[in-house]
Amino acid sequence: MTRNRNCLGLVSQDIPLISNLDVWINIALIRLYHRNQPRGESEKEVVGYLDRYGLGQIAYRRSPALTNRERFCVMLLRAAMVADAEILIDRPFRIMPELEDGFFVLECIGVIEDLYRSSCIFDYSWFRDRYGIGDAAEHSI
Amino acid sequence: MVSTIENIGRISLDAFRSLHETLAFAGRVIRKIIDGKTYNSATRGVLLNQIYFTAVQILPLFLAGSIVFGTLLIGVVFQMITDLGLAGYLGNILMGLLVIELAPLITALLIALRSGSAINAEIAVMKVNQELKTLEVFNIDLTGYLFVPRIVNGVLSVSLLTSLFSVVVLISGLVFSNLMFGMSFDAYANALLDSTELSDMVLSIVKAAAFGFFVTMIPIQAGLKATRELTSIPVSVMNGMVSVFIAIAVIEVLSLIARMI
Repeated sequence: MTRNRNCLGLVSQDIPLISNLDVWINIALIRLYHRNQPRGESEKEVVGYLDRYGLGQIAYRRSPALTNRERFCVMLLRAAMVADAEILIDRPFRIMPELEDGFFVLECIGVIEDLYRSSCIFDYSWFRDRYGIGDAAEHSI
Repeated sequence: MVSTIENIGRISLDAFRSLHETLAFAGRVIRKIIDGKTYNSATRGVLLNQIYFTAVQILPLFLAGSIVFGTLLIGVVFQMITDLGLAGYLGNILMGLLVIELAPLITALLIALRSGSAINAEIAVMKVNQELKTLEVFNIDLTGYLFVPRIVNGVLSVSLLTSLFSVVVLISGLVFSNLMFGMSFDAYANALLDSTELSDMVLSIVKAAAFGFFVTMIPIQAGLKATRELTSIPVSVMNGMVSVFIAIAVIEVLSLIARMI
C-alpha cells in the first residue's frame, strides 16, 4: 500500500499545479525534492520533456498563463517524475472540458511512455465512446 | 457576574491554547531546521528565492528608510542629550537604546509588514487553491519544503538587516556628534566601545533572530488556518498580523527583562 502510494503519479483537477512556481519547477519539484537532483540538470531535462509535446516555450510560464491542454501535459509530466510512476489520470475531461474525445489524452500518454511504469484513466463509463471503447466492462475495475 | 467570569475563563483558555499551538508548531519547525535531511535541492532553491525577496529586493527601500529614520532618531537623541547634559552617556545611549533595542524592533516591524503579510497571504492562497494538498500527494513535506526556508530566511534577513540599520544609525551618530559636540572619530569610537558589552551584543543578535523566526512563522501558521473559502484569506492575514505584533511586543518585553537580570 505504501509502495503504491509512493509510486502514485496522480493527474487530477483536484491536484493543481503550484501557481507561484514556473512550469519547469512544477515538473522538476519531485526530483529536486526526493532525489536532490541539481537544478540546472533538472531544468534541462524538463525542457527536453516539454519539447516532446512541442511545449518547450512554456517552461518559464506559470499555471494561470497556460491553456487547458498545456496544463494537462504539464500535470502528466509532473506525475511521470515520480520514481517508478504508476500514473493515474482522474477524469481528464474535467481538466480539458473542451475536448471532444480522449485521443489527445492517449496520445499524450504515448509520448512519454518511457517515463512511467503503468498508466490508467479513471472516468465515467458513459464517456466510453469518447475513448473509442466498445465494451466498458472490459475496461472497468 | 458569572458570565463575566466565564468570559475571562474562555479568553484565558483560548489564549493558552493559541500559545500552546504556536509553541508546538515552533518546536516542529526547529526540529526540521536542525535536521540536515531537510536541505535538498528544492528547499535550497526556495531559501535562495526567499532571501532575495526579503533581504535583497528590499535593500534600496530599507537603506533609504534606515538613513531617514536613523538620522531622525539620532537627531532627537542628540537634542535630548544636549538639553539634559548627558554627553558623557553618549555611547551608552547610542548602543543601549538605538542599536540593541530599536534597530531589531524597527527591522522586525518592516519585515513583518512587507514579508510577513506576503507569506501569510501566499500560504492562505495555497491552502484555498489546494496546492498544499498537491505537495502532500507527491510526498513533499510541507514543513521541510515550504516553511523551513521561509523561517530560516526570516532569521537571517532580520539579523542581517538589523546589523545594516545599526551601521547606518552609528554613521549618522558620527556625523551628528562631530557637528554638535565637535567629537572626533576616535573619541566617538571609544565612547561606543566603552559602553559595549558582549552580553548585550549576544542578546541583540538573539533578539533579532527571535523576531525573524516569529515574524515569519506566525504568518505561516495563520495562513494554514484559511479554509477553502476565498474570503478566509483576508481574515487569515488580519489574524496573522495581529498575532505577529503581539509576538513582537512579547519578545521586546522578554529581552528587556533579560537585560535587567
